[in-house]
Amino acid sequence: MHIVVCMKQVPRDNSVKLNADLSINADGIEKIINLFDEYAVEEGIAWYEKHGGKLTILSLGSTEWTEQIRRALAMGATDSLLLSDPAFAGVDTLGAARVVAAAIRKLGDVDLILTGRNSTDDESGAFAPALARNLGWPQITYVGKVQDVNPATKTIVADRSLEAVIETVSSPLPAVISVIKDINSPRYPSLLKIKRVAKIDPPVWGAADLGISAADLAPAAVLSTRAPAPSRPKGEMITGGDAAAKVSALVDKLLENQVI
Amino acid sequence: MSGVLVYVEQVGGDVAAITRELLGKGRSLADALGGPLAALVIGDAAGNLAERAIAFGADTVYVVSNPALAGYTTDGYVAAAKAVVDQAKPALILAGASFQMRDFGAALATDLDAGLAADAIDVSVEGGQISAVRPSHGGNMINTYAFAAGRTAVVLARKQSFAEASEQAGRSGKVEAVALPAAAIRTQVTSVVPKSGAVNLTDAAIIVSGGRGLGNKDNYYKLIPTLAEALGAAYGASRAVVDEGWVPYEHQVGQTGKTVSPKLYVACGISGAIQHLAGMRTSRSIVAINKDPDAPIFRVATYGVVGDVNEVLPLLTEQLKARLSR
Repeated sequence: MHIVVCMKQVPRDNSVKLNADLSINADGIEKIINLFDEYAVEEGIAWYEKHGGKLTILSLGSTEWTEQIRRALAMGATDSLLLSDPAFAGVDTLGAARVVAAAIRKLGDVDLILTGRNSTDDESGAFAPALARNLGWPQITYVGKVQDVNPATKTIVADRSLEAVIETVSSPLPAVISVIKDINSPRYPSLLKIKRVAKIDPPVWGAADLGISAADLAPAAVLSTRAPAPSRPKGEMITGGDAAAKVSALVDKLLENQVI
Repeated sequence: MSGVLVYVEQVGGDVAAITRELLGKGRSLADALGGPLAALVIGDAAGNLAERAIAFGADTVYVVSNPALAGYTTDGYVAAAKAVVDQAKPALILAGASFQMRDFGAALATDLDAGLAADAIDVSVEGGQISAVRPSHGGNMINTYAFAAGRTAVVLARKQSFAEASEQAGRSGKVEAVALPAAAIRTQVTSVVPKSGAVNLTDAAIIVSGGRGLGNKDNYYKLIPTLAEALGAAYGASRAVVDEGWVPYEHQVGQTGKTVSPKLYVACGISGAIQHLAGMRTSRSIVAINKDPDAPIFRVATYGVVGDVNEVLPLLTEQLKARLSR
């Protein structure tokens, strides 16, 4: 079977700044695989190892971020594909899903797509559902456990981990799955494997390869303003006396201000 | 396209708090748009949810009732919603931002070629222009999106963003039944099990969280649940101690865990890494207890106490028990 894992590059932390054109400036912050996507990579590799076939790492982004794609290859992925084009710059989540859907259709033989529940920078969680609907495939989101992937019956059974319940869902393949953090423990690639993939550059498909124009990606929700979050009003340090005195003063404040 | 359509979530047979918020906000948005406030009820037995939605301000309630809609499936619920959207033609669709609603909202927006703002904290209409505000980058950036004219806007709102609509007894409105189109529901929900030791942090009014400053797992379990109990709170944890294996992931607050916004958040022995602050900085009040006076957590704290949590927390629990008489 052919499994595709969609992976996004994000800054390691969100201490980002703002450019004059409202784009995000993450200069000087290390770029990493979106944490939830790393769990999707591990899950994809585990099922690929069980059933064989092919595991493709697919990413939309700059051609400069081959290092993390190589890391996924060193973890055990067999193939990689980078979607990169000036027309894709600044695309929103729904647009990104349209681009990736076009690539999946072009690949043609995909049985299962895995990705993280959301990216840690944009945080909308819309990518997996939008991708599934673009492809006309079923989706299982917020998966905390994949119980079974059966290539013979072309089905997948997975547990969705929602706020208060675990929902077990079965779906025909092909399908799109989004995963949460505690689904597995991503492996560390060995030094030998890192060396073996060190020179691999992923093939790059652009807008023309996918038959997509900038007009196809015009967002229906257009960013109009963006600003750093206002800082919280300055708080108050409770000082003076020993721990017991400070605790009394704290509880006084909480009761006085009807916090509790 | 005109007016607002609110997705009705239910809790114990009545409209959920988030729905009351959306009906309250939806009323003023619908008025600003010069259209009706409609509500959408999907399920297998709507009961009196439609009447309840009317009591909280809906003019028309569209009900899609079908045995196939007993539990949530993306295919079933999106098909039902699309049938209603075809009829009501709303300019703006409002729903909550729970995991289920994010699954639903993003799928619906894609099918409708609509604009989407997930996890919004505000939505407004000015001169006919619909805009939504949503945080990103762990709450460090606040983004405003303007929806393109002629395309539906789908806004999934974070809890406690708006005042709840007040109930108007005897208010009348229209209830319209809409048939579920013959659509294939491809996924099958085979079981729904409540999470054991359920910690619905996102619903808790007060959260007590523990971090590495507690020293070890034993101290966490000795001090955090007892303080939480004294406050009637749920208990959470920093990523550091979840990764250490002290506490299950369910309890993790932060960018890669839960985003919470309680009335009171008590951070105990948590230094306040960016990724933790991302999950709790919108809490109404924050109490921070940490032995390092320079810990970043104090920068967001409403009240800060410098001290060893292992000394401070037993005293705090004792005082709260005595003074709150729990």
